[in-house]
Amino acid sequence: MSDRPHLLLVDDERSIREPLAQYLSRNGFRVTAVDSAAEARVRLNANAIDLVILDIMMPGEDGLSLCRHIRETSEIPVILLTAKSEETDRIVGLEMGADDYVLKPFSPRELVARIKVIFRRVASGGQRVTAPDGATYAFAGWLLKSQERTLVDSEGVSLPLSTAEYNLMLAFATRPNQVLSRDQLLDITQGREANAFDRAIDNQISRLRKKIEPDPKNPTLIKTVWGGGYTLSAEVRKL
Amino acid sequence: MTIRRLWPQSLVGQVILLVALALFVAQAINFGLLLRERNRLTLTGQTAPLAYRVLTALDQRPDRAAARDGRPDRRQARNIRFLAAQPALGGKPRPDVANRARDMLEDMGLTVRQVIAAEDSRVMPLRRWERLRLRQGEAPDDRRVGRLQLAVEYDAGQWLLVEGRIGNRPPRFGGWLAGQTLILYIIVLAPLLWIGRRLARPLRQLTASAQQFARTGAADPVDERGPGDVRDLTMAFNAMRARIIAMLDEKDRMLGAIGHDLRTPLASLRVRTESVEDDAERARMSDTIDEMNRMLEDILSLARAGRSAESPQKVDLSALADAVVEDFVELGSPVTLADSARAVALVRPQQIRRALRNLIENAIVYGDRAHVSVSHLPGQVRITVADEGPGIAQDRMAEMLEPFTRLEGSRNRETGGAGLGLALVRAIMIEHHGELLLANRPEGGLEASLVLPA
Repeated sequence: MSDRPHLLLVDDERSIREPLAQYLSRNGFRVTAVDSAAEARVRLNANAIDLVILDIMMPGEDGLSLCRHIRETSEIPVILLTAKSEETDRIVGLEMGADDYVLKPFSPRELVARIKVIFRRVASGGQRVTAPDGATYAFAGWLLKSQERTLVDSEGVSLPLSTAEYNLMLAFATRPNQVLSRDQLLDITQGREANAFDRAIDNQISRLRKKIEPDPKNPTLIKTVWGGGYTLSAEVRKL
Repeated sequence: MTIRRLWPQSLVGQVILLVALALFVAQAINFGLLLRERNRLTLTGQTAPLAYRVLTALDQRPDRAAARDGRPDRRQARNIRFLAAQPALGGKPRPDVANRARDMLEDMGLTVRQVIAAEDSRVMPLRRWERLRLRQGEAPDDRRVGRLQLAVEYDAGQWLLVEGRIGNRPPRFGGWLAGQTLILYIIVLAPLLWIGRRLARPLRQLTASAQQFARTGAADPVDERGPGDVRDLTMAFNAMRARIIAMLDEKDRMLGAIGHDLRTPLASLRVRTESVEDDAERARMSDTIDEMNRMLEDILSLARAGRSAESPQKVDLSALADAVVEDFVELGSPVTLADSARAVALVRPQQIRRALRNLIENAIVYGDRAHVSVSHLPGQVRITVADEGPGIAQDRMAEMLEPFTRLEGSRNRETGGAGLGLALVRAIMIEHHGELLLANRPEGGLEASLVLPA
């Protein structure tokens, strides 16, 4: 990866493609903008692309199909742009192996923040956390349904989670039995929305414990590691 | 009232009840006629021997007989007596026997002046054949049968008295009637019941399907079977169902397209705002775009209301309220939540989240802060959002639930949306068979409640 990461922007809408390419260029990226999946395939073969920003709805081959192609042939991260808010589109997109999705109309700043999160993860050799959305994680009698941002207890009753609680729970569920420091948790959960979580990690942990621990005072699932941070002490199965 | 309650509501029930009633009336008339005929027969059977006896006796009147050989016929002396005055008959008078006897005698050409008859319970002597049978060792009949006396005035002051036995009473035939009616019912009602069920099953399915359709906007087609006209109805219903579904699908596709087509220029605009130099101006522009997007979102949601792809599940609404409130608190909004116990209901959680978010947003915009509480009442769960604003005038409460209505004169007017918030909440509540209640709090402020069946 050169100092200026090379982005491939694929969108048939010129009114978005051109100003977005300009904005991304101003923010320190090299941008190649194309208007179709066919053109994108050519560029993918010819250039060393570091990340693809892909519109789903395009005439001809659509973004989902191109996304699948990219995932089959390379490890290049993909961010999907979608104008539909329907859950199904989002889930399908993430199942196709996209790293993130952005809903139109989006804040370009947020897009840049998300691109940086992905690059940071790639640089730190972090594993690709493909498709957290749509998956269900089972642990200790609980189900974490990522699509609905909900915990389901052993009686089948859903306990909806707040965004912060959910991000934290997902971080634990995807990294069971790993000790996660506050900084790590911040880094992982911050990825989606750059809010001020700093003050909140401990607070969120205690909220989660209240929801899932049989006895929140003596936690057996989310344990505090002396001097280190927290760990989810349970077998997690991805369903 | 009672009749109302007994009257069956279903078509088949009514038909069967009507047929059963008609059958019963016909049976009753039939029985009445039969009974009358049978009584006449019995009467004739009782009267005829006496009438013949009278006829025979008068043929051999004692004055004639005496004139011939000077002594009465001994064979007849036992139950035939000639009298010179009206005899006093004991026991129960039988005018019916008297009338019948008069008719019979007249039919045979004998007109008499007066006839009287009576019945008492004298034990009658055995008949000759009965004595013979007794001698052969047979069990005797019951001899305690009644005596029937008939007196006839055949000439002025001249009376003839004859007597005879009343035959055994005819067996009661109430049981026979019941049996016959039962057989008739089985023969007529069983096929009717069969036809009725054949008719009712597809109708019931049709009703269930129509109800399901009304509730969820989707239903399986109904099997086309049963009698011809019901099948026609089912086919018509299925065709209607297919057409409505096609129209709703078309609507959804169109809304999706509109959403997409509007979001694309919005996205373009949003990207371009970043090139605006003035920070304050840029922030205002992006706020406006966000608001347009929210309105678009609301309109699309409202238009899609009732066609949710989300399936209902058991949800702890206390946890749901907690999660929604937490998201607001996280952003620094003035929202509080009262502690509450677990309150499970069958709902579509994303939609309830949406409804609660709308109420809380309203409370913050119009009432400064939001106080959320969840209460579990028998049969329902109530999520209440109270604010500290001016409330809503009573006469405008209902209006607030209509789309595109906004509270005029709100000091936060410029922050309001399209006025779809409450309309959307109400649509979500209707889909959940719940209710959105608005009320002014006595201590000031508005209280909006989501009432959900639990």
